[in-house]
Amino acid sequence: MTVAIGIGILVAGGVYLLLQRGLVRVTFGFVLLGHAANLLFLSAGGTRLREAAIVGTADPALMADPLPQAFVLTAIVITFGVTVYLFALAASRHGGDDDTERLP
Amino acid sequence: MILVLVLAALVASAALAPFLERWLGRDAGWPLAAIFLVLAGVVASTGPQVVHHRPVLVQWPWLPTLDVVFALRLDGLSLLFALLILGVGALIMAYCTRYFSHGTHAGIYLLLTLFAASMLGLVLADDLVLLFLFWELTSVCSFFLIGNAGLAAAAPANRALLLTVMGGLGLLAAVVLVSVSAGTTQISVILRGFDWAAEPGFTALVAVLLIFAGFTKSAQVPFHFWLPDAMAASTPVSAYLHAATMVKAGVYLFMRFSPAFAGELVWTVPLVAGGLVTAIVGASLALKQHDLKALLAYSTVSQLGYLTALVGIGTPEALGAAALHTIAHALFKATLFMLVGIIDREAGSRDVRKLNGLWRVMPVTATLMGLAAMSLAGIPPALGFVSKEKIYASFVDFDGPEWVGWSLGGLAVVAAVLTFAYGVRLLHGAFGGPTVQRRLTEPSWPFRIPAAIASLAGIVLGIAVSTLSPLVEQVVLDTRLVRGDPHLELWPGLSPELVMSALTIAIGLWLFRARVPVDRWLQRRQLPFSGVGVFERCYDALVRAGGGVSALTRGLSPAVQVPPVVGSLLVLGAAGLWWGVPLAPRLPGASRVEDWIVVAVLAVSVLAITVTRSRVGAIGLLGVIGFVVAVWFLMLGAPDLALTQMLIEFLTVAVAVLALSRLPARFHPGGRLRSGAVAVVALAAGAGATALALAFTGRRGPSGVRDYFLEASKEETGGTNVVNTILVDFRALDTLGEVTVLVAVAVGIAALADGTPLLPGRLRSTGASPSGPIENRADNAIVLTVFGRLLAPVIIALSVYLLLRGHSAPGGGFIAALVAGAGIALAYVATPAPERVSRRWPSTALAGAGLTIAVVDGLVGLAGGSFLRPFHGEVEVLGVTLKGSTSLIFDVGVYLIVVGMVVTALRRLGSGLSADLARGGPGMSESGETSGTEHTDRNGGSE
Repeated sequence: MTVAIGIGILVAGGVYLLLQRGLVRVTFGFVLLGHAANLLFLSAGGTRLREAAIVGTADPALMADPLPQAFVLTAIVITFGVTVYLFALAASRHGGDDDTERLP
Repeated sequence: MILVLVLAALVASAALAPFLERWLGRDAGWPLAAIFLVLAGVVASTGPQVVHHRPVLVQWPWLPTLDVVFALRLDGLSLLFALLILGVGALIMAYCTRYFSHGTHAGIYLLLTLFAASMLGLVLADDLVLLFLFWELTSVCSFFLIGNAGLAAAAPANRALLLTVMGGLGLLAAVVLVSVSAGTTQISVILRGFDWAAEPGFTALVAVLLIFAGFTKSAQVPFHFWLPDAMAASTPVSAYLHAATMVKAGVYLFMRFSPAFAGELVWTVPLVAGGLVTAIVGASLALKQHDLKALLAYSTVSQLGYLTALVGIGTPEALGAAALHTIAHALFKATLFMLVGIIDREAGSRDVRKLNGLWRVMPVTATLMGLAAMSLAGIPPALGFVSKEKIYASFVDFDGPEWVGWSLGGLAVVAAVLTFAYGVRLLHGAFGGPTVQRRLTEPSWPFRIPAAIASLAGIVLGIAVSTLSPLVEQVVLDTRLVRGDPHLELWPGLSPELVMSALTIAIGLWLFRARVPVDRWLQRRQLPFSGVGVFERCYDALVRAGGGVSALTRGLSPAVQVPPVVGSLLVLGAAGLWWGVPLAPRLPGASRVEDWIVVAVLAVSVLAITVTRSRVGAIGLLGVIGFVVAVWFLMLGAPDLALTQMLIEFLTVAVAVLALSRLPARFHPGGRLRSGAVAVVALAAGAGATALALAFTGRRGPSGVRDYFLEASKEETGGTNVVNTILVDFRALDTLGEVTVLVAVAVGIAALADGTPLLPGRLRSTGASPSGPIENRADNAIVLTVFGRLLAPVIIALSVYLLLRGHSAPGGGFIAALVAGAGIALAYVATPAPERVSRRWPSTALAGAGLTIAVVDGLVGLAGGSFLRPFHGEVEVLGVTLKGSTSLIFDVGVYLIVVGMVVTALRRLGSGLSADLARGGPGMSESGETSGTEHTDRNGGSE
């Protein structure tokens, strides 16, 4: 329930920013959507069991699902990569600034 | 085994063909023809075994998890087609040596041999998946062989490919349906052991799909137009693929599946009707052609129609006739094509209006053409006469009401009369009349020999037709599962068929005598549309429709792209709600009290980031949101994710500062109307996302794959940090793909920064006097500089430690690299002259090296049986046991890639920045570049 609401908040904020003019805000929206997708992944694995999946540190019966975590870990880094690329795009000299709707 | 060898030999010959061609030039066809001949001999040597009902089998496990077997099976039907493929192939290869001029023809020899291998595989395949694979391969070979003929052949090659591949999709659908239903993909088992009568609807669906596939491949009306179109290919290709072999793949498919469908109405009616319509339409179109090659193409369409109709009749007699006519047609049609190619080469034209009286200068060619035309027109003693008799008999003896049989026979006679007429037109057009080109001579014997062999074989086999009896009998047995004597004789005595034959010849002769008015009448009959035109219009409309759909989401701005996507997702979601999806009940305990705190902080910070107009403020809020998410990750039992997320937040801020110092301080103003509309879309999307998450998650217990990883991790990889073992051991291939994306990002940033210069930095004055303590940048940074120098090496050492321990505690390549990245960012900021220093830092090269290490590690894994398989071991050094795994090497690759990407980002985004700032802002250094900006807040935008 809580994760679902969190996802909703992030998606709403993400879509709102995605629909703005400046590429920087669009990028921020993209980052928020990334958070939402990552949380959705963890939620798919289940949020009832919350012990870290490190063998020997807890009862395995209580450990969280490690597979979505592995997916999300790489997803976080890829989101970062794309974010950086978008920043570079925003800072490159295409127009006077990062406006996406007034391109030369 | 012998079948695999033959197939492998053909593939090897294809690989060899370019080398042969380089060595022998166009004469490379001779050794290839010899290879084809030897292979034909090898296949023929199994003949005695095959015709005694003992097919040759090969079965190799291929995709065991899908129960797909590399199964080949040579029964009578396969033997018939295999001999045609290899025999005609040998003739064509020999013909190529003289048809082609001197020059490079490596491609055509390679493709022709590869095609022969695919076609042979098609007729030998005893597995549905294999059959489909070879079926598509023949289409692809055909595409390249047509396209090989030059620019003008590009459009026909495309059309032929699109149509045959469309049919291939039908075949694929049938393959999937049948293999799922039957539980096996082995054709011989499915045809004999599957109860086709149990589900008539299913059987009908499969039959229709197979008929669709066969109709496109064998150019049946309404898909017939691609075949004459494909005559843009060179003559050997037309003779081999588009007359003798590939276009018969459809007929082969019908014959192969006859045991299952013969006698079913849904099979018989389309095949007989479509086949006879094609036979008559094709023949009448052939009769009005002026181009000899086009005439032959329509003739092939017509003859394929005959064969299709025969298989549709489905009686043992009809299938025997189809087998016999397949041989006859391959022989006479290959001959006719080769001879037309010779005429084209010698006389320089294929147009009957330009050719005249060639029989005086090319008597041998004329005679060979005459013999082949006899077979085409069904005149004794050619093989075509015997097969035509059998065809008549099969139609008349149709297994149904007598009047149907006679009507079918009547239609067959109509098609045969037209065939006779265009056969004579072919001969008369090329060879009749006064000789115009008196200086022409016969071509060299090597050019004529292949055609001569095929032509004479058509006559010899007609006279000695009884030698084909065992083979034809076996084909009948294979396709109808009943034994019957095919009664193959040249002179069966007086019979209704003989009368029909006589009638055919008589009317055909009359048509030829009346050729002038007939031709005039035919030329006036023009359909208002052509198949090619209709196809092109449909194709264009399809492409336009696709463009229209994609235009909805194709714009430079996300504001154009996103709303249609969000809208359609919402519509889909609403539809799902409307119809309802069966869902398990939600399990309790998914939420905890402390979660609500996180949700509250998240809600406030997301709201703030959407309303703020300050760029710096937004960056801070983005960091807050990222930290909140990281905390949530920690609460959800994902320490690795939490660590990663926090480090990413740090780096994002570092990079964002470099980028944002080049941009105005405030975001663009958005109108109130726009903000309102966007807010509505955003809230709808958020509500939809919550609904989706509620609907599809939290409704099941721990998954089996989770249990597996938790149990197997320590035992199989030696690592206890399960997330890390998944990344570098269990699913390392996925990780490799993902880090490749990061390499692409690094290269992309480098290319972007190299290609278009970045915006210059903007100096933000605080308003204090430049000499005051706040504005004095160098002095202000002194604490950071000192600590940065001290800390950076420590941080990097820490990162190496995290990398090494990643397998058994939070850490690993990604996290360690991000820690190192943080250290590098600190060092970058702390250096008074970051640009000068960082220029020496390796960036994209680092990422490339990392990728190389990861891939090499994967290749080492091949030694252990599969790509990326890690080796584990223990080494004793000075009495201490060190456990190790090669997956660490993979993780080192990941580490280097991520570090490389971070360094690239810092270096490229920071480039020129300190110089800009030192000069006091862009206005002084590059005023020309930025004077166009409308934003005037570069000096007054303090927050």
